[in-house]
Amino acid sequence: MTTPEIAFKHVSKRYGSGETEVRALADVDLSIDRGAFVAIMGPSGSGKSTAMNIVGCLDRPSDGEYFFEGIATSTLSRTQLTLLRRHKLGFVFQGFNLLPRTSAVENVELPLVYRGLEAGDRRQRALAALARVGLEGRAGHTPSELSGGQQQRVAIARAIVTDPAVLLADEPTGNLDTRTSLEIMQLMTTLNRVQGITVIMVTHEPDIAAFADRIIRFVDGRIESDRLKSDGALETMA
Amino acid sequence: MLAESLKLALRTIRRNPMRSFLTVLGIVIGVAAVIALVTIGNGTTARVTADIAKLGSNMLFVRPGQFGPGRASTTAKSFNDRDVAAIRDQVNGLRAVAPMAQSSATVIFGGESRSTGVVGTTSGYLSALDWSLSSGRAFLETEERGGRAACIIGETVRTKLFGATDPLGRALRVGNVSCEVIGTLAKKGQSGMGTDQDDTVLMPLRTVQRRITGSSDIGTILVSAQDGVATSKVQGDIERLMRERRGIVASKTDDFSVNDMTQMLETMAGTTQLLTGLLGAVAAVSLLVGGIGIMNIMLVSVTERTREIGIRLAIGALESQVLAQFLVESVVLSLFGGAVGILLGLALAYGATTALSVPFVVSPSIVVIAFAFSALIGVIFGYVPARRAAHLDPIEALRHE
Repeated sequence: MTTPEIAFKHVSKRYGSGETEVRALADVDLSIDRGAFVAIMGPSGSGKSTAMNIVGCLDRPSDGEYFFEGIATSTLSRTQLTLLRRHKLGFVFQGFNLLPRTSAVENVELPLVYRGLEAGDRRQRALAALARVGLEGRAGHTPSELSGGQQQRVAIARAIVTDPAVLLADEPTGNLDTRTSLEIMQLMTTLNRVQGITVIMVTHEPDIAAFADRIIRFVDGRIESDRLKSDGALETMA
Repeated sequence: MLAESLKLALRTIRRNPMRSFLTVLGIVIGVAAVIALVTIGNGTTARVTADIAKLGSNMLFVRPGQFGPGRASTTAKSFNDRDVAAIRDQVNGLRAVAPMAQSSATVIFGGESRSTGVVGTTSGYLSALDWSLSSGRAFLETEERGGRAACIIGETVRTKLFGATDPLGRALRVGNVSCEVIGTLAKKGQSGMGTDQDDTVLMPLRTVQRRITGSSDIGTILVSAQDGVATSKVQGDIERLMRERRGIVASKTDDFSVNDMTQMLETMAGTTQLLTGLLGAVAAVSLLVGGIGIMNIMLVSVTERTREIGIRLAIGALESQVLAQFLVESVVLSLFGGAVGILLGLALAYGATTALSVPFVVSPSIVVIAFAFSALIGVIFGYVPARRAAHLDPIEALRHE
């Protein structure tokens, strides 16, 4: 059996202490294989965002262990976690989170800047990434000159420009209309199927979750259900 | 990476040119003040040094009382004719000895009048100072002895009062004395101390004593040593002589002073340094305030750009890289302030030195120090905001509106 890309072993996360303590995650076990397309669902406060932050190495578990490609992340320093994010992970956010007043291509170049690539090399790879999300010819536009769907494409280009192993998307279609949402999901599906990138996505929309192969539902900090798409119940929803 | 931070910093500064300028205004003023003051000070020192070199170092001024920093001038009795004669007769190696009785008076010729300095002296004054006449003659011995109403006028007095008229032989009214102009002095220009050396009227000592000051006091005795004679030896001889003549016992300090030009320069330099130090302290406070201004704006900037910092941290920027970015930004800001300040300071100093007609001497070291100091201010006052940015929690920062 191969090592799963991502594995939670008895992961808990508590915020605050004493009377005000909040348990965001309670003893969660989870494993996601390389090349999977996973949707994480659940009501707000269910712990799905906390789980995503831990997967993205932006947060650490209070208890338990998070293994990334078999490495126990609790043994890593803050700097090592940053380097792991830099080299293995790509992030797409609900609010796009592009740098304002900065052109599309410069936004996409940003992760490469921190990798220390030469300017020419950076530009070439950023333009290629923009082409992969269908935004050739928009490289010089700033976010305010782009539509919501185009902005999210730029964000996806920024996430994949480093060729990450895992793409983490937090409500990637939350700010988009239905038609644009479908375009973005098709793009993510292509990245997963064609490039083999593991995609983990938080969403509360069932028709968006339906693009994934596997749907994990969180309630009150626990996994309530974990189903593959072939399950009959999900087939009917799709 | 540094080049990237630099590019980013320049872009951020360009986006808010007005804010950036106001941020660095404190630094600009502080640096400009330091540069201007030091440059003007250098020019004045150069001018004074040049003047003294021109005069030669063999001049001695014998004055009643003690002068200089930390020593209050006391009410010591003045010198008289016999003191002058004693120096002339009993001290060896002198080229010239000239008594000076200084006063000021209104001088009138025709419809023009002017308040000017009057010096009662002898022809020795001209040779002691190495001054020459542009026309006419010096005092005759008979004129000096008899206290004749004759005068030699400086260039400023000549042009202001006589204009195109030839002053020789004319009657000039000095106070209430009418005296004949017998000579005019060659133009000397401004002294290092900023006084107009040409705004003067020379008269025989006795004339001034009898008809202007009304006393036989002599304020200063000017002594010029012969070439090749050490001024220190002459100085010692005069001191011994004067102590004896003034009846000062061994346990008492002198109630007069014998200074050469170097000592006068030192006295002046002491005063200048004190002044420069005080002004420098004011400038330092201004730089401190400027630094606080930079810190304030950088803190505002970090808060404004919290989301941006969150994005950078999330996509793989190390804390040290975020720290470097904000530090570079504050250093670029303060260096920009420093550069503007240096240019402004040099411009001010140029204007001031031209107005005071002292040489414009730029000290490269002070320019370098000012520039380096601005960079230091950027680092010191940029560090706290930069560290705050670097230590932001990316999750919180991304949630920030």
